[in-house]
Amino acid sequence: MADYTKYTKQEMQAYAIAKNIKENQIVIVGTGLPLIGASLAKAAVCPSCHPIVESGLMDCDPVEVPRSVGDNRFMAHCAVQWPNIRFIGFEANEWLHDEDRLIAFIGGAQIDPYGNVNSTCIYGDGDYVKPKTRFTGSGGANGIATYCNTIIMMQHQKRRFMEKIDYITSCGWMDGPGGRERAGLPGNRGPQMVVTDLGIMKFDEQTKRMYLAYYYPFSSPEMVKENTGFDIDVSRAELMEGPSPEIIKLIREVIDPGQAFIKVPKE
Amino acid sequence: MDKVYSLHDAVAKFVEDGDCICFGGFTTNRKPYAAVGEILRQGQKDFTVWAGPAGGDWDMMIGEGRVKAYINCYTANSGYTNVARRFRAAIEAGELIYEDYSQDVLMLQLHAASLGLPFLPVRLMQGSGLMKYWGISEEQRKTLDKVDDLKCVEVENPFNPGEKVVAVPVPKLDTAIIHVQKASPDGTCIIEGDEFHDVDIAVAARKVIVTCDELVSNEYIRRDPTLTRVFGECVSAVVHAPFGAWPSQCYNYYDNDPGALKEYDKASKYLDAEDAKAQLAKAAAKAKKAAEKAPGDEKLAEAAARAAKVAEDAANGVAIPETFKDYLDKWVYSVKDHNDLLNKIGGARLVSLNSAPHLGYSNTHLK
Repeated sequence: MADYTKYTKQEMQAYAIAKNIKENQIVIVGTGLPLIGASLAKAAVCPSCHPIVESGLMDCDPVEVPRSVGDNRFMAHCAVQWPNIRFIGFEANEWLHDEDRLIAFIGGAQIDPYGNVNSTCIYGDGDYVKPKTRFTGSGGANGIATYCNTIIMMQHQKRRFMEKIDYITSCGWMDGPGGRERAGLPGNRGPQMVVTDLGIMKFDEQTKRMYLAYYYPFSSPEMVKENTGFDIDVSRAELMEGPSPEIIKLIREVIDPGQAFIKVPKE
Repeated sequence: MDKVYSLHDAVAKFVEDGDCICFGGFTTNRKPYAAVGEILRQGQKDFTVWAGPAGGDWDMMIGEGRVKAYINCYTANSGYTNVARRFRAAIEAGELIYEDYSQDVLMLQLHAASLGLPFLPVRLMQGSGLMKYWGISEEQRKTLDKVDDLKCVEVENPFNPGEKVVAVPVPKLDTAIIHVQKASPDGTCIIEGDEFHDVDIAVAARKVIVTCDELVSNEYIRRDPTLTRVFGECVSAVVHAPFGAWPSQCYNYYDNDPGALKEYDKASKYLDAEDAKAQLAKAAAKAKKAAEKAPGDEKLAEAAARAAKVAEDAANGVAIPETFKDYLDKWVYSVKDHNDLLNKIGGARLVSLNSAPHLGYSNTHLK
C-alpha cells in the first residue's frame, strides 16, 4: 500500500501555496508548482477560489495538468477565453476599482531582500546586452507585479537570494518604504511572501525587508540563514506543520497523477 | 475575391526580406509552423520581429540567422524547454540585436497597432529593468529603419498632472501570419478557442497570410457570424494547410506533438555537429574536474567516465547527437512542401494528436 505519511519538499511547497489562498480570491497561476498548489486549494483547501492565467483564460479548472498557460488543457476547461489584453485590462481595473481580490504567483532566478525579482538574465562577466545566462524574459510577470499582490516562488539558494540582483524584471518593494510610489507603481500592491523549499518569508511592515515567518518540519531557521545571501531576520519564525496523508493522496492520485510537476520518489 | 494560394506562392509573394513581421499563436498553441517552414525553405531574411509570446517558431528563425532585430517578451516552448535554446545562445554570444518589453506591453502595442493609435501610454514597466535598460540603444535604433528611435519615454499624463506614465511606440507591421481552424476563399476566418493577438495583427499588418486547417466555402463560413473573427478584406492570402500548426496545438483540432517538441528541445541544444563536439568536450572536462575534486565518490567518477565516452564518441564521429541543423534538415529542408511534411510525420502519428471532443485535447498522444 502506498505510504502517504511521507512527503517531498515540493509537496510541502504546493501545500504552503494552497494554504495561502483565501476564500473567493482570484488566483493568477502559471504552470508548475503554483498550478498544483492552486488545484489543491480548489479541490480541498479553498474551493471558492478562481484560478486565471495570463494568456486570458479565466476561472480555469483543468482535468489534466497543463504544461503551459496557453495549453488546451486550460482552454477547454475555463469560464471565458479572453485574449491576453483583456487579462491585462482586468488586472489594471481591479487596482483602479480598489478591489483586493487578486493574488498572483510569480517565480524567478534571483530575488533581493525587498522582493524584487529577476527573470531576465544573469550578467556574469557581461551585462544586459550580452549576459552570461539569458532567460525567457518577463512574460506576464512585470505587469502582474505592478498591479497585484504576489507570492513569489523560489528555490532557496544563496546564489539566488542576493543583496543586489542583476536586473529587476518584476518590482517588489523596490528599495523599501515608499519605494514603489517613487517608482510610479501602486504603493498598495506588492509581494506578500516568498515560498521556498525551506520556508515562507514575509516582508516587515516597517522596513519592507524579508524575514522568515515559517519553516517546515524538515528545515530550520539556521538552514534558511545559511542559504540566504543577505542578512535575514529569523527571530519571528514559527514551525508550519506538514500536510496530512489525505492531502498527499489527493496530490498524487487526483491532481498530478502523471507526475508532470511533482515527482514522487520510488519507495 | 478568391485569395487562395499555395503555401509556396503565398510566402513567395507576401514575405519579403527586411519585413517587419509578427506571427500569431501563443508559445506552443496555434503557431503558424507550416508557414515558418516555408519561409525557412525559401530563404527570406533580415526580419524586424515583434515576437509576442514566442516559441520554437522564432527560435528556429533566430537559429537560422533570419532575424535582424528581435523585439521580445517571452521565448520558450513552455512545458518542454525552459528558455528557447537558439534564442538564448544567440543572446549569450552577443549575436542577436534584441529588445525586451513585458508581455503586457508588447500585446498592448500590437492591440494599439490594430486600433491605429499614434503611440501608447501605459502604467507598466515602471521601476523595472525593462525601462532602465535598452537592448537596442538610441544610436543603434537610428540605423535600423524598421525599429523605432526610442524604446520608451516617461511622460506626464496630460489628464492627471503629476502622474508619470510610460509612452511606447506602436508597431508598424508589414506582415502578419496566423494559423486558424477555418477560413474561406474570401479571407474570412473562424478562430476557435482563444484568439490570442491574432486578430490584432491581422488588422494591423499591411500583408496578412492566413493558413487554415479547413478551407470552407464563403457561404459556409458565414452561416453563423458569431463565430467569425477576421474580416476577409484584411487578408492577403488564404492557404489550406491541414495540421499547419504542428507541432503546436490547435484548439478543437489537435494537441501538440510531445515527441517533436522533446526532439527539438534536445536537438536545439547544439547548433551543429561542431558545436555538439565542443559542448560535449566541455561537459566531459567539467565532470572530470568534479570527480577529481571528490576522490572516492563513485557516482561522480561514473558520471565523468560516461561524459568522457559521450565526448569521445562525438569527437570520433561514432555517435554525434542530433543537432538543431539536423532537426531542420529532417523536418524542414528535406521536405519539398507541407504535404510532404505530413507524409513524413505519418498518418498514425498525426491521428494520435487529434483532440478528443469530450476533453479538448488528445488523450492518446505519446506522453
